[in-house]
Amino acid sequence: MHCQLAWRNIWRNPRRTAVILTAIIIGVWTMLMVTALMRGVSNGMVKNAVSTLTGEIQIHAQGYRSDPVIEHSMTDIQTVENTLTDVLPEKAVYAFRIRVNAIASNARHSGGLTLVGIVPDTESQVSFIGPEAMRAGRYLDETDKNGILIGEATANKFDTEVGKKLVLMSQDTADEMASRAFRITGIYTAEMSSTEKQFAFVHMDTARDMLKLPDGISEVCILLPDGENLDRTASELRASLGEGFAVHTWREILSAITAYLELFDGFMMLWYVVTFIAMGFGIINTTLMSVFERMREFGVLKALGMKPWWIVRGVLTESVFLLLLGSAAGDLLSIVTVGVLAATGIDLSSLAAGAEFAGLSRIIYPSLTVTDVGMANLVVCLLGVVVCVYPAVKAARFTPVEAMAHT
Amino acid sequence: MNIVEATHITKTFQQGDIAVQALKDVSLSIEKGGFVALAGPSGSGKTTLLNIIGGLDTPDSGSIVLDGNAFEEMSRSQLADLRLHKVGFVFQAYNLIPVLSALENVEYVMLLQGVPEKERHDRARSILDDVGLENRYHRRPRELSGGQQQRVAVARAIVSSPSIVLADEPTANLDSETGKGLLEIMKDMNHRKNVTFVFSTHDRMVMDYARRLIRIRDGQVDDDVTKNA
Amino acid sequence: MMSIHVKMAWRNIWRNPRRTVLTVSAIAFACLVLIFMLSFQFGSYETMINAAVKIQTGHFKIQHKQFQENHNIRKTIVHPDAVAGILDKTPGIAAYTFRSRAFSIVSSEDRTYGALVIGIDPDKESRTSTLPDLIREGEYLSQTDTDKALIGRLLARNLKVTTGDEVTLLGQGRDGSVAAAVVTIKGIYSSGQDDFDRAGLHIPLAYFQQVYTMSGQVHNVVAIVQSLDRVAEIKQQVQARVQTLETGNSLIVRDWSKIMPGLKQAISMDLVSGLIFWLLLIIVVAFSILNTFLMAVFERTREFGVMMAIGTAPSRLMKILLTESLFMTVVGMGAGIVLGIFVTLYFQTRGIDIGGAGELLNQYGITGRIYPKLSVLSTAIGPAMVFVITFLAALYPAVKVRRLNPVEAMYFA
Repeated sequence: MHCQLAWRNIWRNPRRTAVILTAIIIGVWTMLMVTALMRGVSNGMVKNAVSTLTGEIQIHAQGYRSDPVIEHSMTDIQTVENTLTDVLPEKAVYAFRIRVNAIASNARHSGGLTLVGIVPDTESQVSFIGPEAMRAGRYLDETDKNGILIGEATANKFDTEVGKKLVLMSQDTADEMASRAFRITGIYTAEMSSTEKQFAFVHMDTARDMLKLPDGISEVCILLPDGENLDRTASELRASLGEGFAVHTWREILSAITAYLELFDGFMMLWYVVTFIAMGFGIINTTLMSVFERMREFGVLKALGMKPWWIVRGVLTESVFLLLLGSAAGDLLSIVTVGVLAATGIDLSSLAAGAEFAGLSRIIYPSLTVTDVGMANLVVCLLGVVVCVYPAVKAARFTPVEAMAHT
Repeated sequence: MNIVEATHITKTFQQGDIAVQALKDVSLSIEKGGFVALAGPSGSGKTTLLNIIGGLDTPDSGSIVLDGNAFEEMSRSQLADLRLHKVGFVFQAYNLIPVLSALENVEYVMLLQGVPEKERHDRARSILDDVGLENRYHRRPRELSGGQQQRVAVARAIVSSPSIVLADEPTANLDSETGKGLLEIMKDMNHRKNVTFVFSTHDRMVMDYARRLIRIRDGQVDDDVTKNA
Repeated sequence: MMSIHVKMAWRNIWRNPRRTVLTVSAIAFACLVLIFMLSFQFGSYETMINAAVKIQTGHFKIQHKQFQENHNIRKTIVHPDAVAGILDKTPGIAAYTFRSRAFSIVSSEDRTYGALVIGIDPDKESRTSTLPDLIREGEYLSQTDTDKALIGRLLARNLKVTTGDEVTLLGQGRDGSVAAAVVTIKGIYSSGQDDFDRAGLHIPLAYFQQVYTMSGQVHNVVAIVQSLDRVAEIKQQVQARVQTLETGNSLIVRDWSKIMPGLKQAISMDLVSGLIFWLLLIIVVAFSILNTFLMAVFERTREFGVMMAIGTAPSRLMKILLTESLFMTVVGMGAGIVLGIFVTLYFQTRGIDIGGAGELLNQYGITGRIYPKLSVLSTAIGPAMVFVITFLAALYPAVKVRRLNPVEAMYFA
């Protein structure tokens, strides 16, 4: 009865209801679109970083992270492998790497880069490098003992191409400078040119041979199946590997991105509140107007003995209906918009350098989580009811006499 | 000489699903300097007739000529212009512009006509003096009584010397004493300035003041009597 | 004298003061948020640009055309003094310095890394860049130092060296000979930007020229101008004068936006996405306002009917309504601008603590606090956007009034 009355009241002036609903819908849509874009940006950043070489969990020898040299290698591969088989869920994939800093040079140029020794088949399962990343030449295979893959940016910097020679130098396990000439097998492209500049890939066996490391590795990179608990898996690995090993999740490795993600949640809340204030003025105004228009009516009701609280409740119920209706429609509109945008993604290729500087991927796929939508609706409905208390109380305060005198 | 020539006027309103015929083939003429009452019960069509004469409303068929201007040939803005210069309106209520003072309300029409400021001031003051509001120039409508508001409305209607003043139930919201005072003022204006007045009314007193009484019933002229002065 | 229509409009908006105050507040709020946020954005851009400029690139750089392409050590500025002469005579230049660089193999007792060895003029450098302020351990170079070096924090960590330790440099000189030297670490600097702190070490320019057989030549002349706004103009002047030099044709002048296109693009991207956010925000405000305007018009339909009956042309009614909304907008904008300036200035002096985002923003050269920067532009853009959109919102009810029929307005409203 009480709800029915409120429902009918909001449709007494359909035009006003339509305008206020539009305001709420646009408000909710704005909140969610901005969130979806930023969500897309941060997802892209994480995905980008994880697939570059980070993976979701990394295992190193103790000390490697602060001093990434060959002498900080894990030599007991058997233990590592056994632990991985024990702890990791069935669908998890992992790859072993050797990873050291090196100096590359050819006739024209020399520069520093990171030499990564990989097992070609397993590596392509955990990171971006693989046959699809090749722009020229081909990916490494088991026979390529002298082959090297370099990024397009490196190729440009060294003014070189597939088939040409590149000499790499790095410190070996005996603290001597080991140097070896490679032939460029393939040139890869990556999301970011900094990746292309930094990494050169060779076969694991070649790297071991060059660095005089009979059976060690620098790094294990792990990808978990969707929905697996990252932190729990990491701590299980930590527990069973014990001393001498360091296990890190991508959140610890990519601390800047983690900081960004934390910042993001705060920003999202702030944006919701700012947007709400912008539409809040309209909500109060419209509710006030509808209350003043019905001043006479409220006077009559009070004269008939209605308690002020009932009037407050009545006005607030109307507001709740409007807010719920507007939010629901806003959600729907946002979900549709995000769906359409996410299908193709927003292409930032024309601003690639800027995107890279800001750590963004070249294509942004907007996305929304249930929490994002829930929070937005909560802010709108909760604050909406709060601001409507003012007109509601105003309505309850009309004395019958002044209400009747009002025309 | 006739200031208004209305011939074969019909007008139908759509009220929900029902078509209401407000005017059925009305023809009438009003002489210059007349003081005419259109009388009839509510819903008889008198207000509609008044609005059509004033160019506010357009008839479904028939023609109106006001002071030599045939409405059929005029656009909306030409009609607005005609109302501005040739017609003065006085309504039952909600008559004045609430944010303007008495003086400004009267001046407003002249402002629209492009009368120079000085002349506007002088004429507005003198007409307000004529209707007995010499001390109320700067009051806003809500600070005036109903009778005083209507006197401002009359002053506004006649200040620009229109060909005709159309007054729709001008006394309906007033007590009889105040109503009488207002009618005296209009009668005086009619005499002194030879302004034509047409009222729509169902007030006995207004009918008594009128020199010509046209009774309207069910959208038709029922009776048309000119009294001797 | 104020026209009667303006007077009417002004009085009309105060017929319902509560509503007007709310509408004006919405407009003021939008202006306030926009002024603050744009100043904030501009402020952080300037911090980022200055950080990048002061640490590395300068506002503009003069170098050999081919050096820019492949950093070939042989592509030098042969007569740095001639370039210096030009800069000395160009007004608006705050400071400049010479730098040379060569990729070298840098070895400590335990470790070997590839790194950039950069030759700097200690005195000139301290006027041009913030390097001296970034020293966290040890001391900055003095003008008389020879085989001393400053090293980035991360490279020092990688090489496992600290102040007082020796490192060996091994590279190629300009004439193709082997360049080798042993230098002592005098200071360790930390800029917060990992790329810079990992990249290299700095040694005195004279010593560099000796080790790398530069015979008095340099690779870069790096200049700082007095204000960021004048970079383009001064760069043009310098460019023109450099062309007149004997070797001028081989030289190129590039400003920071060319040297770091990523920074420039990142800034435009942030600005554009910011503007889209703010536009959306204003549209939300506009709907609040539209509602008020519409309601105000509906309430007064009867009054408009009377005004039309006494001869007010519809276009005049429209003008009155637009004037009313203009008043509200102007009052709101005025209040918003004053508040916005006030709030922005407050934070401009105090700074905004960036807290947890510190590590992230360090990479862009923003450390500790962000200072919004109020400017004519940051004050004008927001309110201008608000003005245009509010005007469009007001246009709708005003146009609706134009179509009003006086009889319907008076009798059926």
